[in-house]
Amino acid sequence: MNTFKKILIANRGEIAIRIMRACKELGIKTVAVYSDADKNALHVQHADEAIHLANSSPADSYLNTDKLIRAALDSNADAIHPGYGFLSENASFAREVVSAISSPQGKLTFIGPSADSIRLMGDKAESKIRMKQAGVPTVPGFEGLESENDFKQAAQEVGYPVLVKAAAGGGGKGMRVVNHENELSESIESARREALNAFGDERLLVEKYIPNAHHIEFQVFGDQHGNLLHLFERECSVQRRYQKIIEETPSPLLTPELREEMGQAAVKAAQAVGYYNAGTVEFIVDPDTLKFYFLEMNTRLQVEHPVTELTTGLDLVHWQIRVAAGERFPYSQEGLTQRGHAVECRIYAEDPANGFLPSTGNLLQFIEPRGPGIRVDSGFTSGDEVTHFYDPLLAKLIVHAENREIAIQRMQAALKEFIVHGVIANIDFLQAVLSHSDFRNGVVTTRWVETNFNWAPPSEPSMESLVAAALADLTIANRQSKIENRSGPDPYSPWKNPSGFRN
Amino acid sequence: MKLNFNDTILDISSNGKIFTLTLDDKTIHAEVLHSDREAPPHGGNGKLDLLIDGQHLTAYVSSDNAKRWVTVNGQTCVLTKSSGARKGGHAPHAAGELTAPMPGQVRAVNISEGDTVTKGQTLLVLEAMKMEIRVQAPRDGVVKKLFVKQGQTVEREQILIEIVDTLES
Repeated sequence: MNTFKKILIANRGEIAIRIMRACKELGIKTVAVYSDADKNALHVQHADEAIHLANSSPADSYLNTDKLIRAALDSNADAIHPGYGFLSENASFAREVVSAISSPQGKLTFIGPSADSIRLMGDKAESKIRMKQAGVPTVPGFEGLESENDFKQAAQEVGYPVLVKAAAGGGGKGMRVVNHENELSESIESARREALNAFGDERLLVEKYIPNAHHIEFQVFGDQHGNLLHLFERECSVQRRYQKIIEETPSPLLTPELREEMGQAAVKAAQAVGYYNAGTVEFIVDPDTLKFYFLEMNTRLQVEHPVTELTTGLDLVHWQIRVAAGERFPYSQEGLTQRGHAVECRIYAEDPANGFLPSTGNLLQFIEPRGPGIRVDSGFTSGDEVTHFYDPLLAKLIVHAENREIAIQRMQAALKEFIVHGVIANIDFLQAVLSHSDFRNGVVTTRWVETNFNWAPPSEPSMESLVAAALADLTIANRQSKIENRSGPDPYSPWKNPSGFRN
Repeated sequence: MKLNFNDTILDISSNGKIFTLTLDDKTIHAEVLHSDREAPPHGGNGKLDLLIDGQHLTAYVSSDNAKRWVTVNGQTCVLTKSSGARKGGHAPHAAGELTAPMPGQVRAVNISEGDTVTKGQTLLVLEAMKMEIRVQAPRDGVVKKLFVKQGQTVEREQILIEIVDTLES
């Protein structure tokens, strides 16, 4: 069987590392790419070789098609894995990768679906027509809008509130809920800018915004020989700013019948665009009627893929690589089952008490939990700088247990052992969500965090934390101060490295 | 000796391994059972196993200038240490000064000095981690001073714009 010898990972952070791990396990060499800001990043250290792209701006570095392909050719890689975000759903990138001339070892392979599948699902107009033809229910809306007037008319027809979102979107980037017409033009402008920066594509569409819905998606997976299956669902309704923060599988909402029905719809959706490799068909589900609507298909590996891996026992990145190399996906739908329950929490460098705004800085301590049933996919380590250039995802904490209740308990215990100092992280917030009765009862919908959940950090520090800070100053601090007082002029911090963390 | 965190004063004395701390008229006995310090340059950061009034607990503490990051029982807080000689923190900003709500880059500047602005108007757009924040006028007024340019990187709380009622002094 044809296999790859070397893969370039056109991404950064935890996903680049996760892909490199899979490559290592399969005996494949890896090439990292990096920007100025990521010169010392963990993903660079994980790779067999690393190629500098450009300055820290995403457009010049991780979104730079020419540089990425040149890096793959220069390093004699035979395939490119795009990860998620950046160019992963950019059809012209996929096309340029496979049409690049790479002598002497032949062609470059794009690890993902065909460029046509990406284009069809990225183009919301075409994808919606195909979904309807395939018998997949869709959300009412309009695509292919150009002028501000087009948007106004479309929004009026659909009826406010509407959702303006990037046609090339994913991960909540370039997406705005518009409640009134007077917010429309500014929302369009800023969604456009965000989309251009995140995906290199500024097209937008308008659709009916359905509040109080569950976001439930199905993982699909196919080979290039016509075998296409679904790997069950992921419940991703806990969101802030239309971006997921907690995902789990199985969904507490689905009955076996609805799971079967939605799984079949997901497979039909993927088949309608000739899909192969890993993909995700996203649905919104009205919990009152249990009606579901096709939202979009993400033609790439998903951030939350680990919960599917833990419950199905399949390594999705292994299989992405293997089917890209031409192997058959040897499973049948009947042969796949969900085992136990998995939950993922996204550990973000953001401040829930400050509107979930990003937090940047130097990671003074970064300690990941360990233990049975605990998996951490992380992109950072102590001492790393979290910059404002890229996504605020620090790590994903994933747990697996025999049922939902135990999985939640395991997650709560693991989060307690996740230490992030130096940037504000959302760990306390995640704990508050996990212990809320709505989450326990599985009734959280996508706007729940904004509308139903009031959370504030404690206003006063606990006595224990004050005592701990004081004793730290008197014990671990003082020992070093003897060395550093000679050179450290800072009276506030006699035990800090005189070179400073921030250069 | 006295230490001040977040304006709470801890009066501390030690007798061998036992520390006696007084804060808010409470007296607490504490002992450091074990401590792990990270290797330089993070030598001030580490983990402490403590006995506080007979209760065993583990604390993680990191230091960044006057800031102390403390995690106890899974809860993290950021404390500010004051030396007593001077108070920590910045002088409060003047009423018309708009500051950056997050660190990031100035993506767009929609106004110039001298412009008249109305409440709710977007004055500039900040971007961090691919997320945009619109900095809007808190009230009607005139832009007295613009402190930043498009493309510039700003820190959280950095002053961006000063707005006054009228330019006449």
